[in-house]
Amino acid sequence: MRSGTQDWSGRLTPVSVATDPQAEEKASINPILRAAGLVREYGAVVAVAGINLSLARGEFLTIVGPNGAGKTSLLGLLAGALRPTRGHVWLRGEVLDFGEVEWRRRIGVLSHQGFLYGHLTAEENLRFYGQLYGLSDVDTAVRGKLEHLGIQEGASSLVRDLSHGMRQRLALARALLHNPDVVLLDEPYTGLDPSAASVLRGVLSDLRDGQRTVVMVTHNLSEGLALATTVAIMNRGRFVWHGDRAELGGDFSQFYHGVIEEQG
Amino acid sequence: MRNYFAQIGAILWKDLRVELRTRERLITMGAFAVLAAILFNYATDRVGVSHEDIAAGLVWMTIVFAGLLGVGRTFHLEAEDGALQGILLSPVPKDAIFLAKALSNFVLLYIVALLVVAVFMLFFGLEVGSSAGMIALVIGLGVLGFVALGTLFSAISTGTRMGETLLPVLVFPLLAPVVIYGTSATSQFLAGRPVTEAEGSIKMLAAFALMALFAGSWLFRFVVED
Amino acid sequence: MSSKKIRLGGTALAMIGLVWLGVVYWMSFFWVSTEVTQGVAQRIFYVHVPAAWTSFLAFGLAALTSAMYLWLRDERLDRAAVSAAEGGMVFATIMLATGPLWGKIAWGTYWTWEPRLTLTLLLWFIFLGYFLVRSSTENPEKGKRHAAVVAIVGALDIPFIHLSVIWFRSLHPEPVVIKAEGPTLPGDMLATLLMSLGAFTALFLGLFLLRYSLENLRAELDTRSRHASV
Repeated sequence: MRSGTQDWSGRLTPVSVATDPQAEEKASINPILRAAGLVREYGAVVAVAGINLSLARGEFLTIVGPNGAGKTSLLGLLAGALRPTRGHVWLRGEVLDFGEVEWRRRIGVLSHQGFLYGHLTAEENLRFYGQLYGLSDVDTAVRGKLEHLGIQEGASSLVRDLSHGMRQRLALARALLHNPDVVLLDEPYTGLDPSAASVLRGVLSDLRDGQRTVVMVTHNLSEGLALATTVAIMNRGRFVWHGDRAELGGDFSQFYHGVIEEQG
Repeated sequence: MRNYFAQIGAILWKDLRVELRTRERLITMGAFAVLAAILFNYATDRVGVSHEDIAAGLVWMTIVFAGLLGVGRTFHLEAEDGALQGILLSPVPKDAIFLAKALSNFVLLYIVALLVVAVFMLFFGLEVGSSAGMIALVIGLGVLGFVALGTLFSAISTGTRMGETLLPVLVFPLLAPVVIYGTSATSQFLAGRPVTEAEGSIKMLAAFALMALFAGSWLFRFVVED
Repeated sequence: MSSKKIRLGGTALAMIGLVWLGVVYWMSFFWVSTEVTQGVAQRIFYVHVPAAWTSFLAFGLAALTSAMYLWLRDERLDRAAVSAAEGGMVFATIMLATGPLWGKIAWGTYWTWEPRLTLTLLLWFIFLGYFLVRSSTENPEKGKRHAAVVAIVGALDIPFIHLSVIWFRSLHPEPVVIKAEGPTLPGDMLATLLMSLGAFTALFLGLFLLRYSLENLRAELDTRSRHASV
């Protein structure tokens, strides 16, 4: 099913992984992450041109689109890293207030940059972020995440000495250290070798535990689609197509390029 | 509140730990200070002017220039792997981030500033004598005001195309009070004058530091916002 | 207020200011009596002092609108701030140019560390930083915020700079100190000065409003060309 072109500013229909017929209704009543009329301009450049979305617990939204479509800006708006020019983002029904910081505990962000310090060890990096997030038991959280991602043996090495794959796992551990409800992923597969990519795939599928809400932006169509419950195609700051992952047919790539070309 | 100070402590600890491992800023600032003292020796007339008269001014100019060198790089450490973004996305109030960065700059620059005084004592035979503690206080207050403005404007200049070259243009005119009161109080103490004479300058340095810390913690959020 | 009204008001004020300035020039050259100790050169005082006053007014306005911009995020406040800051630069430049000319004749030296002269010079550089910061970011909005921060810190720093340069002067007195103003100013000189203050203020406010409406038009043009290209 395709939404008509007149509906490009349109609402993203909430879809849940659960087969529960009430799931859709539940999502619209009690969404974890919601955005309405999001616009972000950089001077004369409009990066995000009116996005509405509503995501329930357990949903995994993948946003695909060409470079410059505004995907990263949209993710920045959802993470509260960017102030919207217009519109609002709600997290569990509360509007994101830039003066407040508490809601940031519920959000985890993984970008293609690791946010890591090369001159600190892996463990020191995690402990540092654990303290920033005010975790009650930093030691346990850090040890748990190191173990979960299989990087215990690199724990006391400086990050600059770690292999690329190890560093990527550590970045993932950092993003998930505080156990966020909402996980935002910005091109996580960029620059990964096949083995690191498979670790990432494993961890990301763990995130589909029904407890979290995940938004991933990527231009990697196959990786993007593999985990999604909901898919949106973004171009020129808008969602030009959005819908349930299950509605998509066999050849997404052809479909995707068709949608983008129709845009001109 | 406890959490607030724990967060400041975490960032401060992290900055100092990284600096201890790289020693990038301490070495460049320290070497600059010693070399500046050597050049000042040849740039000043040893016969006409006694060193006590101009030493305070030279000490302060050396601190300001060395300080710009180090403070200008405050956010380079954070830029490497987007780490500043990681801190900004975490639940740390922006004023806590500012205070932590200003404090870590303070620790580094204060060490360098005391080194500057020691170097001038050695090279120019200055007598600090019984007023060593007061000179340390004057320099501490001046450095605090300096790093507060320097940290804020370093965040600004890092975000521009001109980068660090912009920093002195932004900071120098604002620093006039620090240099004026700092130099005056230091030279009074070097000349062995009583504390009461420098009291006014010390109070002004303290007030300036407070103003700069307040302004920085309030305005930093508007600088790092995207 | 509509943009057309602002433009008309600005034009009217600027015209009034210019005519008024003509009267001030006539007064300062032909009407007011010559100051006894400094002679004819003292007449530059009727340009110098009002220019200084106007630049402080302009920078104050720029800092105030900058703070309000950071608070309310209304583009119009930023436009007002940049218009005021530009006016401040112009009048501060006039003050800095006339000061040394006067000083050379009155005191025999172009530059003295006269506190208000020094303060204006430092202010001039603070606002040079304001414009440099503004134009050197990729994202223009970020430049506006950074510039606003520069203006606010500048305003907070002014009392400190002011006190410190006065205090410095008290430690290092100049050989010749002539207090040109003060309560002893004769009536005709005071009248000329007050007239000039009025003329400069009106001229500044007129130019400020014109400059502000120009910024508004520019922003509108920007929006329209963007819509046209979409």
